[in-house]
Amino acid sequence: MQEHPLNATPLCDHCRLPVGRLAHPRTLNGTDHWFCCYGCCLAYQVHQGSTEEPEAAQWLIRLGVGAFLAMNIMLFSLLLYADAFSASDPRVSALVPWLLWALATPLLVVLGGPFLQGAWRAGRAGRMTADTLVSVGILAAYLYSGWRVLQGSDQVYFDTVAMVLILFTLGRYLEARGRLQAMRSLAPMLAAERAEVRVSTPIGESVRTVDRIRPGDVVVIEPGECIAVDGEVISGWSECDESIVSGQPELQPKTPGDAVHAGSLNGSGRLRVRASVFGNQTRWIRISRLVREALGRKSLLGETVDRVAGYFLPLVLTLAVATFLFWASRSGLDTALLASLSVLVVACPCALGLAGPLASSLGIGCAAQRGVLIRGAGVLERLGRLRGIAFDKTGTLTLGKPRVMALRVHDCNETRLLSIASSLSLGSKHPAARAVVTHAAALEIRADAAEGIRVRPGAGAIGRVGSVEAAIGSRALMVSLGWFLPTALDAIDARNGWTRVYVGWDGRVHGCLALADTPRPEAAGVVSELRARGLDLLLLSGDGPTPVERLAKRLDIPRWHAGLDPEGKAAFIRDWMRQCGSVAMVGDGLNDGPVLAAASVGIAVGGGTDLAKESADLVLPDDGLAMLPWVLDLAREVRRSIRANLVWAFGYNAAALSLAAAGLLQPVLAAALMAGSSLVIVARTLHGRSGAEVAAESPGASRATGTARVSRASGARI
Amino acid sequence: MEYYLLILLAGLAGSMHCVGMCGGFACILGRDGRGRLATLARHLVYNLGRVTSYCFMGVCVGYLGLLLVGHGGDDTWGSLAQRTLALLSGMLMLYIGLQFLGVMPRPAGPLAGFDWLASGLRQLTRSTRPGAPLALGVLNGFLPCPLVYAFLAQAAGSGGPLSGLLIMATFGLGTFPAMLAMGGIGWWTGARRAQPVAVPVPTPTPSMGAGSLLSGADWRQRGVQIAGGFIVLLGVVTVARGLLPLGAHLH
Repeated sequence: MQEHPLNATPLCDHCRLPVGRLAHPRTLNGTDHWFCCYGCCLAYQVHQGSTEEPEAAQWLIRLGVGAFLAMNIMLFSLLLYADAFSASDPRVSALVPWLLWALATPLLVVLGGPFLQGAWRAGRAGRMTADTLVSVGILAAYLYSGWRVLQGSDQVYFDTVAMVLILFTLGRYLEARGRLQAMRSLAPMLAAERAEVRVSTPIGESVRTVDRIRPGDVVVIEPGECIAVDGEVISGWSECDESIVSGQPELQPKTPGDAVHAGSLNGSGRLRVRASVFGNQTRWIRISRLVREALGRKSLLGETVDRVAGYFLPLVLTLAVATFLFWASRSGLDTALLASLSVLVVACPCALGLAGPLASSLGIGCAAQRGVLIRGAGVLERLGRLRGIAFDKTGTLTLGKPRVMALRVHDCNETRLLSIASSLSLGSKHPAARAVVTHAAALEIRADAAEGIRVRPGAGAIGRVGSVEAAIGSRALMVSLGWFLPTALDAIDARNGWTRVYVGWDGRVHGCLALADTPRPEAAGVVSELRARGLDLLLLSGDGPTPVERLAKRLDIPRWHAGLDPEGKAAFIRDWMRQCGSVAMVGDGLNDGPVLAAASVGIAVGGGTDLAKESADLVLPDDGLAMLPWVLDLAREVRRSIRANLVWAFGYNAAALSLAAAGLLQPVLAAALMAGSSLVIVARTLHGRSGAEVAAESPGASRATGTARVSRASGARI
Repeated sequence: MEYYLLILLAGLAGSMHCVGMCGGFACILGRDGRGRLATLARHLVYNLGRVTSYCFMGVCVGYLGLLLVGHGGDDTWGSLAQRTLALLSGMLMLYIGLQFLGVMPRPAGPLAGFDWLASGLRQLTRSTRPGAPLALGVLNGFLPCPLVYAFLAQAAGSGGPLSGLLIMATFGLGTFPAMLAMGGIGWWTGARRAQPVAVPVPTPTPSMGAGSLLSGADWRQRGVQIAGGFIVLLGVVTVARGLLPLGAHLH
């Protein structure tokens, strides 16, 4: 951290008191701040932040108001347990249970309301969820305690009601917050389908919805408008933002003859575009529709906690009935009712409400610190029991743009060849031209822009470089120019799938370049690390079989499938999921949207298209492929932690249940068991978090270790 | 009785620390559109929530203290445990009090894990729902604060939930006037609920000039130091309770 600008003792940026010798320097939103204590740092963030999160705020108000009531209940219950009132007037101590009842009633309404409603809805649909479990527990405790108060006893379970409700509400709040942070923005997908477009007809302009556009219609696109059709520019000039479609962040210049794509955003010029397909069949709309269908299907998957509650609840009810029957036959109805009610009171494992959300939200937070977005606890869970991973090829495992792999010259030196090739390629945005320019620039070869460049679409370009007439392009271009092509150049090491580019001047070809897309440098390491974790790997691509097979061999991926369209990929993934369970798909392009949404876990690599990021369940940062093994370890760690916590929670509850069934459960014991189990769970989860951070030090996450160290230092004192 | 008066005074002086750290929340709560009475109610409810959190923590640590030392203090073991607890909590108070006096350095290294609380409080200051001031107060009470920790140490050392409750309640009452006054300042400067303003007193503005800012900070710094003095005094009393023979009662 840099020195404070003033040499004098700096003032705390929040409370304006001198910060003292050991202040808290923090960088927030890129500016350096000084705080006298951590509390001031937090308070400062509260005042300066601007995000609004209404849903989570609503849970937080519930939580705050509920906590106020619950704290009062706990406070008086603790005083009661400690016999703090024994010295005072007996009339005072007789009032305390009534006071607890008065506090518990609004608590039941404020915090219990959502759970009771949830249980009611599930019950009407014939299902039992975690809500049912909570509702049964709190109602039993509340009614039982109320009855005891009427009988003049101070053996009440109101603090159990408070604890269950606070812990479950805290869990709900954490979930709501996580959901908001990872919200998908599907608005652009819907907007494109409902867009209205201006159609130019011989009698003037008219406005139509996009689904009534036919091929050949001429559409006018105003500056700043979202483009809703696939077509070709016939007049006008503009720059379009195609990042949502192609993933390229740069604005793409559009002149007559260029293709425009639905979903992209028009820049500052007015364009007239001739539609090439029906308005409801643009690539954007087809893919958006596939994505939405797949996401809809996925949202129907059940939650683990609800499944567990579904098994647990019938057991508890059976036990309660058995307890009632047993005691009724021995000691009368009163004792029997008490014992069976106390079974229901302790049945609700508090830790169940907190164990999952707490561990998941810590895991998600841990990932977020390294720039990895995980959309919800369910994703983390599915990631934890992953069986296989499918990869897209171009842009995911490869760099997605060609590079110069080999070079051969004839009758000239390499520098001159690259200088001329680069001169001809400077103005072009063709991937091959860019590869040539990049290669020349890397070798520090000077290139002056050629004059009078004539582009032959799909073949190459011809222009004047200095005093010579030069050309760059395909073999066909050289042949059409009638230039001499030495056979020695064809001996270039250009394997299958590599693109050859010829460069010539003064009537003859002087050199040949071989271009190919190359695997990312980290790809091989990632693949071997994933294999070491026992995962099945698969390569799915829309490309032809030859390059796909070569990449699969090179990276040692046993299975591959080529020539798949977006729907084909999604169908393939669904088949694979049926066979082996939870599988992930890693991709980055527009075409990957549907398959990312279809897979158990869709993983988008940053720098991909916006659609890929919104369809995915997990978004890695730019060039973040190397973090995949680490994320997987994190998810497995969280899953282990949750399972261990559930075992703990049920262990505690089994002990409490047997005490209750034996008629031995005292309120203070119930409270202690519940608080004890929750504390153990929280402590275990926080401990698990540090375990996850150890995993962060794995070699695959080398680019993340810097942040890992910082967060470890700051997380050391939770 | 003098003992609780001492805590009340420490709370009063210590609220100069609260004004800087948490006064902003009271300011943001600002005024209620339904009139002065509603505004006052808002602030009372907010402070009630805050003090309730303190009391709850006081009872919890007091109960823990009770569990550690046991009910009776007559037998040797109980008395030894009680003395050790008093000694430890007194020393913790001394440590925090000396920090407030500026004699000892504050602990280094930022804490983490409360960030979610910060973002939560941010939402609450913007919410117009009726429960928001109470929720804000309750969560505000759980913000990490050395002043609260000092009195929690005292509450734990007192060895009972009731005395823990009384200590924290007295301390909370001590911070009441200043925090209520901050609400009044928020009301006076016309801070509306929908338009939160920055902390009015400590924020330097061109019109205030460096002089008034520094004098304001000096004045509050003195309050913080006085609070440190009280905490040190209470710490000394508590340590003495652990060291002196049983017969000597210091309060």
